[in-house]
Amino acid sequence: MSNIIKTLDVTERLDNLKQVCDLDEGRIAGEIFYSQSIYEQELEKIFARCWLFVAHESQLVKTGDYITTTMGEDEVIVVRQKDGSIKVFLNACPHRGNKVCFSESGTTRGFICNYHGWSFDTAGNLVGQHESGIYEASEFDKSKWGLREVAKVDTYKGLVFATFDPESPSLQEYLGPMTWYLDALFDNQEGGTEFVGGCIRSTYECNWKIAAENFVGDILHAGWTHDSAARAMLGGAVAKVSDFEESYSVNWNGHGYEFALDTVGNVAVLGESKLNRYIHTIKPSVAERLGDFRSNMIASVSSCTIFPNFSFLPGQNTVRVWQPRGPNKIELFTWVVVNKSAPDDIKEMWRKGAMMTFSPTGVFEMDDGENWEYCTKTAKGRVTAKQDLYVGLGMDTFMEDTHLPGNVYQGQLNEANSRAFYQYWYDLLSAHTWSEVPNRNKGKVEAE
Amino acid sequence: MEKVYLCKFSELAENQVKKIENKAHGDIAVYNLGGQVYATADLCTHATASLADGDIEDDMIVCPVHWGQFHIPTGKAQGFPCEIDLRTYPVEIDDDAIYALVEVDANMIAKG
Repeated sequence: MSNIIKTLDVTERLDNLKQVCDLDEGRIAGEIFYSQSIYEQELEKIFARCWLFVAHESQLVKTGDYITTTMGEDEVIVVRQKDGSIKVFLNACPHRGNKVCFSESGTTRGFICNYHGWSFDTAGNLVGQHESGIYEASEFDKSKWGLREVAKVDTYKGLVFATFDPESPSLQEYLGPMTWYLDALFDNQEGGTEFVGGCIRSTYECNWKIAAENFVGDILHAGWTHDSAARAMLGGAVAKVSDFEESYSVNWNGHGYEFALDTVGNVAVLGESKLNRYIHTIKPSVAERLGDFRSNMIASVSSCTIFPNFSFLPGQNTVRVWQPRGPNKIELFTWVVVNKSAPDDIKEMWRKGAMMTFSPTGVFEMDDGENWEYCTKTAKGRVTAKQDLYVGLGMDTFMEDTHLPGNVYQGQLNEANSRAFYQYWYDLLSAHTWSEVPNRNKGKVEAE
Repeated sequence: MEKVYLCKFSELAENQVKKIENKAHGDIAVYNLGGQVYATADLCTHATASLADGDIEDDMIVCPVHWGQFHIPTGKAQGFPCEIDLRTYPVEIDDDAIYALVEVDANMIAKG
């Protein structure tokens, strides 16, 4: 197809990566949160190559339903087609580059550019222009000047991902065994999930990685950072994670899920006993559907990041993308996810609960924001940026003998997932092609 | 006045529009609005577009290119970017056949 986007020429890799990131030694340097040259490499070698979350299928119910979002800093339109498929286009007119869609979501016949009236149908085809006769007189070929379409779009259990890179692995291969864990939130009831309410947008002056890494496997911060918020919402401290008998950190291709098996630890912080009861009510049917093990995960103390910047908290049911906006700024897109089959009052309680806790006005969110901004800003200092930062907890905790899929590590108070996240980041920044990305996975692809 | 055959009434579903090619007078769009048949020029008066590819909304035809609208019974342009009214044709239904009554206008033919 002629309207597929051009891919980028690969630029040379940075030569100082080993100095700012050595995971065998368990260290990174603050420079990776503040450097403009590293950031530019990330936009090219990570955001223009990896599968990125763009929408939930429940946002695109009927033909012409669309949302606008970004892939890295590239603005895109995600739109449901007549045949039921989903296409993703650059939100830029191929004539002078003007943005063609200014609203966040809606239902449309197509997109018309404000500048010269170039008009595109929902399949991205250029269907006409103002003063169309002029173009016809110069033998203009309309078929070559549609909206630029991304290389690949695919879905997993309602989650829509897209990639700019035709050479990227399939979504299935990219996610690998992480799908087994994603099902604990996204497929624990018949009918799957949906987003409720709109998208909450906010900004932080922090690097995108510090936020993504927090969700990939940093429950360690919760007992300290969120103590006052927990006391406000729960009337007591955050659960002492080191007291859990059984918990895990699992990763694959830089994605990570850390979890306990306490079933309701995360949902409890919303302070709504009806939600805890809902979780207990559905648990037997989850056990039937996914097995006992995952029925203990549905709203437990847990978090997940799918590399590079899609994250969620089961239980709080907050789903977010940390959109990069420069090395020291993110735009955070937040949604609330619920089971489609849940009663309306339960869905509404989750929507409000997520706003009370993990949204710009939420009591937990602001605890994190301050920390993440200063993890980033201290690296403004040329000397500070070069100092080692410790990321070495749980070096020898890999579990050889487990029925669980993925790279499984003992305990969730563990920096194994953070190391795997930064390792994949390092590997992508070092690789000119996907075939140069080393396979560091050593766990099982399938559950036993 | 020329009587131009358009299509069979039985083959024009309710709230459907069809384009009938016509070299002599320009293509004609024929509409069934709740059982009432109308005919207009098919070419949008703003830019190159077949109105028959557009959507009918109430008694308006929405151009598929810039989404300008025309009032189907009268051909009235409803606003930017469509400012020139659409030519309309009286229709005659004979048994199952729909005809447009086309005023042969020397000016129109000259414009093509």
